[in-house]
Amino acid sequence: MLFSSITFLYCFLPCVLLVYFVVPDRMKNLVLLLASLFFYGWGEPKYLVFMFAAVAQSYIAALLAERFRGTKIAKLALAVSAVASLGLLAYCKYADFFIGNFNAVTGLSIPLLKVALPVGISFYTFQILSYVIDVYRGDVPAQRNFVDLAMYVAMFPQLIAGPIVRYSDIAGSLKNRKTTLADAAEGITRFSVGFAKKILLANSAALLVSEFKAYGEKTVLFYWLYAAAYMLHIYFDFSGYSDMAIGLGRIFGFRFSENFNYPYVSASITEFWRRWHISLGGWFRDYLYIPLGGNRVKPIRHVFNILVVWAATGFWHGASWNFIFWGLLYAVLLLFEKYILHPKRRHAVPMHIYTMLFVVLGFVLFDSTSIADAFMSFKSLFGLAGIPAANTASLYYLKSNLILLIIAALGATPLPKRIYEKIGGTSGGSRVLAVLTPIATVASIAVCTAYLIDGSFNPFVYFRF
Amino acid sequence: MKKTQQILTLVLSLGFIAVFAAWFWILPDADESTVERRHLAKCPTLSFSSVANGSFVNGFENYMLDQFPLRDGFRTLKAAANAKVFMQKDNNGLYSVGEHLSKLDFPTDFDSVDRAAQRFRYVYDAYLRNSGTKTYLSVIPDKNVFIASPNGYPDKDYKAIVKRLENGFPEARHIDISGLLSADDFYYTDSHWRQERILKVADEIADKMGTERMGKCEKHDAGVSFYGVYYGQAALPHAPERLFYLDNAVIRSLKVYNAETSSDIPVYDLSAAAGRDPYEMFLGGARSIIRITNPNAAKERRLIVFRDSFGSSIAPLLTAGYSEITLVDIRYISPSSLGKQIDFTKTDDALFLYSASVINNSETIK
Repeated sequence: MLFSSITFLYCFLPCVLLVYFVVPDRMKNLVLLLASLFFYGWGEPKYLVFMFAAVAQSYIAALLAERFRGTKIAKLALAVSAVASLGLLAYCKYADFFIGNFNAVTGLSIPLLKVALPVGISFYTFQILSYVIDVYRGDVPAQRNFVDLAMYVAMFPQLIAGPIVRYSDIAGSLKNRKTTLADAAEGITRFSVGFAKKILLANSAALLVSEFKAYGEKTVLFYWLYAAAYMLHIYFDFSGYSDMAIGLGRIFGFRFSENFNYPYVSASITEFWRRWHISLGGWFRDYLYIPLGGNRVKPIRHVFNILVVWAATGFWHGASWNFIFWGLLYAVLLLFEKYILHPKRRHAVPMHIYTMLFVVLGFVLFDSTSIADAFMSFKSLFGLAGIPAANTASLYYLKSNLILLIIAALGATPLPKRIYEKIGGTSGGSRVLAVLTPIATVASIAVCTAYLIDGSFNPFVYFRF
Repeated sequence: MKKTQQILTLVLSLGFIAVFAAWFWILPDADESTVERRHLAKCPTLSFSSVANGSFVNGFENYMLDQFPLRDGFRTLKAAANAKVFMQKDNNGLYSVGEHLSKLDFPTDFDSVDRAAQRFRYVYDAYLRNSGTKTYLSVIPDKNVFIASPNGYPDKDYKAIVKRLENGFPEARHIDISGLLSADDFYYTDSHWRQERILKVADEIADKMGTERMGKCEKHDAGVSFYGVYYGQAALPHAPERLFYLDNAVIRSLKVYNAETSSDIPVYDLSAAAGRDPYEMFLGGARSIIRITNPNAAKERRLIVFRDSFGSSIAPLLTAGYSEITLVDIRYISPSSLGKQIDFTKTDDALFLYSASVINNSETIK
């Protein structure tokens, strides 16, 4: 089920809220678990089996790792759990990639498995891995209540597109939590912000992207429009989903970590990755980069570590070479900044231009169907592909989407938040906002409902990861 | 966030969701949407197999979207937000220029044009080449041709389409009607042309085919407020139009036979004018084969018109010089089966009359 669907907002959510807040505290986790299983099984019930198997193996592995800490059995439990988690992910997500490449190299024609990717498997696999590793390390106690562990993994607000919630971050809340009036109000407000980001901005930008792809007569202008629209689409799509997840979590008494911090104001690639998909970056840092030695190693080993981590980051996003090269592009840029550029604040404007240029080119690579397609796009963006600078259609799309792109570009900066805080900082302003904020929240829900009913473009990009 | 703000936020937001959720379940299901001219989805049947194969979920999502309370109002809200906040120049491909609503139709699809030419040539080779029939081709410039480009909207290249089609179907003599039309010859909220404005087109075609003009006609009001197909799609307020039709002694004497239902039908069905698609009042709308007989024709002369929906309103205006006109819509009947239903050996003239929009999207032609 999608957050951004009428079914979720007007069927699923009211029922879950009603039952959740009526039942006694000891039943709340069970209610959330059952609701989450229904949420996940809606449309793809067969994949509940995968999830149940993943939760069950991590439950047993964590108990064994804790019970036999410091022994080979604990190591074995961790290894078996990691192999099972990654094996399931590899089978569902990467099997055909490896078979296809093996066929290409050897000339064989081993048939592809064509396994459908269970929604959200990349996210919940990483959550399970972090849980078992944390228990193995002794950072958190193993969860003895199967329902609570299953609820942590399956919790619908963050189940299918993150943020990747660490068990250690919500272990306390799993046992004991309260939803205050402020939690509920701020949660629904945050949800409505994410809802608007997704429906009004991400989906509208995605329409421009799909129109670009459907239209045969490309121009340089149209390529830049596409690149800008895709960059804004992916940000508002994913950060909108994260906002909705954080808001819903808040309503149920959980505090999820922030996943985005205005990445498009970054003045370096290093800064960009501190602000973009923070939970994924943190995961790779703690469970891959640091175990490899991080930066406290010789430079050549550090280069190796960075390349491995960013190839893995790219590969996590999809079983395709363009994702791997996308990750490696960032590895090269991060190493360039670390060893050569040494970004400085006083060069903020040129550094910001440099950063955004590579971010936008990165997303063009990310969205490409092949490496050749990506290079064709790069050539087209810089007028080297022999296509016209503009035509009637591309000028039309520019005029028709200019306000959208401006609103989205401004919305991707902290400016709206600063204005809101500045107005709220005065006594008169705070009284106005006390009335306007609730009205804006409900207006946002109403307008987004209108966009959904009109049946426009709606899939979440990060579902496929 | 202050406590009053928190309470107000929760009451308004959750109240809005709760009210519409309850309203959806209480509201009886509607069968169809008048403005959208379509049947609305019904609640799918719940079964193990429908859940397992995903059809229940898809059906239920569509059901909720279709049956949501105030659906038309929400669609209007979306269209208004799109136009007034984001200032987008079209909404789901629909745009407005002055009073006119139209749908973007671009780019020029030459493959589609070639396909249309290939299908027309098939008909010609199969039925007309050896029957001595004079064959004509005319491409109706749709409304976009007049309002899109001059107002900055992209459109297909009408002239290039005509040239390509002429080259692909050289056996037909082209009748150029583009200079006779303007945007005002089309309904404001519909794609079709107005019958009361196309007598000049019918006369031009008659002249080029060497037959009699229709002559003077009386203009009648069908007596209904006409909202065209774009009205419902655009979801924004728009004044209704009047639906007129042309009549005279020749037209009143015509006999119309619908081969699909083997029954006679009126030239103008005024009851259809009040129905879901008012344009169906002209010769019953979309029909595969219609035969019009003119008992007052001066001589026996037969015409076959291969046409789309634009042909329904102009066909009565072409009848003066013919004893029989057969209208064939090869979007609804395969050309390969026409020989069983139509005697092509007695056909004097054949006219391929299609709108540029259909030629540019010819996948509907069989």
